[in-house]
Amino acid sequence: MNNSFARLIDGMCATLRAEVLTRLTDEFARGQVFGVINALNTFKVRADWSAALLLEQLAAQQEALDAIRPLVPLSLPAEPAPVPTPTAELLQRRDAGNRALLSVLTWLDGPAAAADPVRRAAVEGHLRRAMRAEVDLELRHSPRPLFAEMSSGREA
Amino acid sequence: MNPLGDDRALAARIEQYLTTQAGRPVTVGPIRRFPVGFSWLTFAVPISGLEGEETRELILRLGPADGLFAPYSATPQVQAMRTFAPSDVPVPRAYWHSDDPAILGAPFLFCEKAEGHAIVPWVPASEPPLEEGYRKRVGTQFIDALAALHRLDWRDQPIAAMATTATTADGTITPENAAHHAVQAYKRLIDRWAMRPYPLAEWGIRWLEQHCPVAPRVTVVHGDYRTGNFLEHDGRISAILDWELVHLGDPHEDLAWVSMPMYKGGSPYLCRLCEPEWFYERWAAQSGIAVNMASVRYYQVFSLLKLAATHMAAARCFEEGRFNDLRMPAMGSQVATCLRQMDKLIESA
Repeated sequence: MNNSFARLIDGMCATLRAEVLTRLTDEFARGQVFGVINALNTFKVRADWSAALLLEQLAAQQEALDAIRPLVPLSLPAEPAPVPTPTAELLQRRDAGNRALLSVLTWLDGPAAAADPVRRAAVEGHLRRAMRAEVDLELRHSPRPLFAEMSSGREA
Repeated sequence: MNPLGDDRALAARIEQYLTTQAGRPVTVGPIRRFPVGFSWLTFAVPISGLEGEETRELILRLGPADGLFAPYSATPQVQAMRTFAPSDVPVPRAYWHSDDPAILGAPFLFCEKAEGHAIVPWVPASEPPLEEGYRKRVGTQFIDALAALHRLDWRDQPIAAMATTATTADGTITPENAAHHAVQAYKRLIDRWAMRPYPLAEWGIRWLEQHCPVAPRVTVVHGDYRTGNFLEHDGRISAILDWELVHLGDPHEDLAWVSMPMYKGGSPYLCRLCEPEWFYERWAAQSGIAVNMASVRYYQVFSLLKLAATHMAAARCFEEGRFNDLRMPAMGSQVATCLRQMDKLIESA
């Protein structure tokens, strides 16, 4: 793919609206098309091309450059291969972090009852900031949902 | 073979069932599914041969085994519709129902197709506000029907079957345990549905458990009373719909649900219909129950937790491949919105 991920999403949404919805009369089916558009809009702000393909391309490039370097009088890049963290691993770490925050909440309701109130309040403050940060970040990366369109099958 | 997902096969099953029930040949035309509703499936069913009438349409509601709140029973909805049939609460007439999935593939109920259209809660910013006279007319009925629902003495009615529960200490819903019972019900649902830990949801449950109000009395609670769940015809509310969350509890639960920000449709009015002061004053006068605004605020927090839980269920159902309705992941993406609003309410309480 030579087009950007975001432009491709925009193109798909525009095609569904202009070329598919204008020819579709069934109300439920139209609602589902709006559901597809809604999902595509989310991809646009949260997803991108898979890094795996690029990593393979980079590795192939580097292998060639490393082989050529001693043969030519040029300064060729010798970059170490990037090591990205797989998304699944990041999700696991997020959930583990949330479980740790939950254990703090349980502690507040149990053993902390006898603890210093200032310390309790400080822990509670940090906890609330962390919980809010998670949802605030999610909201910042969410498009406007198309509930009106999905429920009515009609363009708003 | 389960006929769900195959409209022709479903129509054939309906024909067979209604022929048996009516004791005469009944024919069923092409059935039509509505895009409304996120839980039960709703169909318009054209039927000929019932009591010698011309073709008429009935509504069929089916609670699929893979639905949001499954496993379903049609009984509570039918109990509610039969309870309110002779009251000031407009309800569609309930006909046949069964929880036996062998008949139509899922628990189901048939009811009258009331005339009218639904005023949708979700409207774009470009949508003009409801015409003032119309808004007041429909708003008045909207309040009065809710007050009539809460006014009803349910103890001698079919719905009284819901009064006993295995999850409260003495087995019954009381003014003292109504809030706790409601919170525990959704705590269990979040445990069942959440696909990952949500500390903010736990924070909300903790706050709700620590601040349970006493109900002014135990009433019927619709559970999903809002625009989108009633029909309007020529300026009259013709039917209150979607009784699947009906239960007994604190009437403030319905008042709070009506006031959810997502149902205002960009207007300053509750459910696009009522000024808040007018809504609470008229409801109190009509129901004979004083409004306790602290209880309303409590149940607003609860309502946002309940919405978040429902959205968690939608995400899970889609993730597990139980169905491919693309409205479900869209709902699932709204968990953060609900939890953030809930947290703000807790902070200001």
